[in-house]
Amino acid sequence: MIIDINFIGLIIASIMASAVPLILASCGELITERSGVLNLGVEGMMIIGAISGFALMTVTGSLIIAIFGAMLAGVLISTIFAFLTQTLITNHVATGLALTIFGIGISAMIGKNFVGIPGKEFPVLFEGLKDTIPLLGPILFGHSIVFYFAFALPFITSYFLKKTKIGLIVRAVGDSPESASNQGINVRLVRYACILYGGAMSGLAGAYLSMIYTPQWIENMTGGRGWIALALVVFSTWNPIKILIGAMIFGGLTIIQFHMQAIGVRIPVQFLTALPYIVTIIVLVVISRDSRKIRLSTPSSLGKSFHKDN
Amino acid sequence: MNTNLKISNVTKIYPGCVANDNVSLEFNSGKIYALLGENGAGKSTLVKILSGVIIPDEGKIYLNENNLKLNSPLDAKKNDIGMVFQHFNLFETLSVFENLIIDSDEQRDSLREKIDTIMKKYNFSIDLDIPVLNLSAGQKQKVEIIRCLIRSPKVLIMDEPTSVLTEQETSELFLSLKKFSEEGILIIYITHKLKEVMQLCDEVAVMRRGKLVSVSEIKNENIESLANKMVGQNLKTIKKKKANTSSDQLIKITNLNFISEDPFETNLMDINFSVNRGECLGIAGISGNGQSELFQVLSGEIISEKNSIEFNNNYIGDLNPQERREYLMAFSPEDRLEQAAIPQMKIFENVALNNFKSSNFFNNGLINENKIKEHSKKIISDFNVNTDNIELKSQFLSGGNLQKLIIGRELITSPDLLICFNPTWGLDVGAINYIHETLIKINEQNKSIILISTDTDELLKLSDKISVIHKGKLSKIMNAEEVTSEKLGILMGGAN
Repeated sequence: MIIDINFIGLIIASIMASAVPLILASCGELITERSGVLNLGVEGMMIIGAISGFALMTVTGSLIIAIFGAMLAGVLISTIFAFLTQTLITNHVATGLALTIFGIGISAMIGKNFVGIPGKEFPVLFEGLKDTIPLLGPILFGHSIVFYFAFALPFITSYFLKKTKIGLIVRAVGDSPESASNQGINVRLVRYACILYGGAMSGLAGAYLSMIYTPQWIENMTGGRGWIALALVVFSTWNPIKILIGAMIFGGLTIIQFHMQAIGVRIPVQFLTALPYIVTIIVLVVISRDSRKIRLSTPSSLGKSFHKDN
Repeated sequence: MNTNLKISNVTKIYPGCVANDNVSLEFNSGKIYALLGENGAGKSTLVKILSGVIIPDEGKIYLNENNLKLNSPLDAKKNDIGMVFQHFNLFETLSVFENLIIDSDEQRDSLREKIDTIMKKYNFSIDLDIPVLNLSAGQKQKVEIIRCLIRSPKVLIMDEPTSVLTEQETSELFLSLKKFSEEGILIIYITHKLKEVMQLCDEVAVMRRGKLVSVSEIKNENIESLANKMVGQNLKTIKKKKANTSSDQLIKITNLNFISEDPFETNLMDINFSVNRGECLGIAGISGNGQSELFQVLSGEIISEKNSIEFNNNYIGDLNPQERREYLMAFSPEDRLEQAAIPQMKIFENVALNNFKSSNFFNNGLINENKIKEHSKKIISDFNVNTDNIELKSQFLSGGNLQKLIIGRELITSPDLLICFNPTWGLDVGAINYIHETLIKINEQNKSIILISTDTDELLKLSDKISVIHKGKLSKIMNAEEVTSEKLGILMGGAN
């Protein structure tokens, strides 16, 4: 049997495409958690982004409005979370869970009118270059702008945290909000900003699903990807590059198990469907075993409310 | 250029407590000022007001006749007031350099140069590129001082700076502070240690219960006069009688090791010692050198090899704290409100936590409240706990009363061995005296004590034998009479 080399390229490209929403949401959540805030509402923010993007695209017809609208929707819903946890000092875990339930519910309600409407085609870049290089051509070219942004994001995030002043401040706030506050850093402001940024990235991840990956609206279409994104952040030990690796493994196994089901491999379907979740977590646990490094990169104040007493 | 700092009629009230009651003070550069007072006297509140962390209810601050509005720590920094806090304000997981650049507006290279100049000038040597959690307490403090010096402050406030330092580090710090003072920086030194005030300072202000009690020159004072001003009464001094040295061995530790996975903890290496009946073994050391791990290993919070701990001719290394208590060991951990008692639970409920088979606190799984309450009342009256309400939640007891309750709870079953870790940390002088008397009484009853403490004076006062822990290793065990605080200081710093 001869396998077309470009076919392999296409499979790899589809793996990368399925990793995109995970990378976006994880990198957003990573910044939020690095500032010491645990937002379990990623799934909810993603699905709000998905319905907002799809609805705006259908109503306005503008892809740009739809993409930015989805990010704005993510920001708005995360503002609720930020207000509750930072201003009213509620518990991070409970508030985040509520946010997810809220997001799934409200998206289903809004989405009723959009079920069954076909999506629009999203423009892709460098389409013409696809056939110029074997194997690499389909991998590198012919994708949406969001796709390229997602694969640049882990590196940008890493650079931001390590090399920039603001990144340093974010890490400092996550390490010790008390010290940061005594140094004159506005802890609440930094945390608000990080939560809103996480919301924007989750919104974008959702929009990618409903506008680019499978251009249509299906109720509950995020299908637990928000939870996987959260797991990726923790198991990557807050390292953006490892998030990229984890998302690729997860995406890869998701695609491969589809193909295995299609070919008719005699393994129970349930096991195949569960495989990406299990393997991703095992791999990330193994590559992040160094307990010293974990201690150094875990935001010490993660999930703890900070209340400045005066 | 002369600096003049004036605090005028500052008042800060918390619910149930007046932290600063109409305090007015004036400072001039060229002198080192001591702000002296017991824990809770209000000195920390006052300096937090000066550094913008706390906003006063009333009163004004003037620097060189300018009325300062200190609404945030940033305002204090902008007005050239630098502060080194008792609990360091450092980011443990960031590198030293990252800690320093975070609140500086300078470029990386020029800041690095500036830091190098400061370190050379004052003889500091610190690796700028390692995470702060790898530094010793003394080094961390130097990082804090450098952070202040980068901004060339007019005023430098040091809040209880020596609580984590060895004698040597303390004298180094004093040299640096004198140098800063000569260069025109106004220094305010907050402490409750009288010796340091006499050694270092030119003028002293004493605070008690939120009020300013006196301001005077050091040359007109001595340790006794300051102590009386600070406490507000004449103190009796406690002296321990020499123990009747028995050779009856009670506990023996052999080749005890503890390797931790957590980089924030210290490994214990090859610990060997024994304690006889009626004896107090003191273990000195700077905090963070393995004391907390040693306490946990001895109490059974961390389980070790069965044969490594022999108590009353039983091997108990693999037993948990409850089982060890049945063998008549008792424990008083360092953190009263986190480890020794549960803050939200009532006094009698906390007493019930220390449950023995013989105490009958529980009948067929039900709580025998009357029995527990009776027992609690006995502890409260026997150990002078200043409350008659055993339904009170433990978090509302003062540190001294809570410590008396804990020690009482441990001692009322008359254990053979009490292991305590910093039993008087943060207490006022009266409570300290009471705890010390109690500990001496235990020894007189031919019971033994292992006293892990960072307070050298306390150790010299109470111990029969002393050893020093440094980086998880114990020094050889010395007789207390042969030891001086200087010698302990050298050992605490890691020298042989």
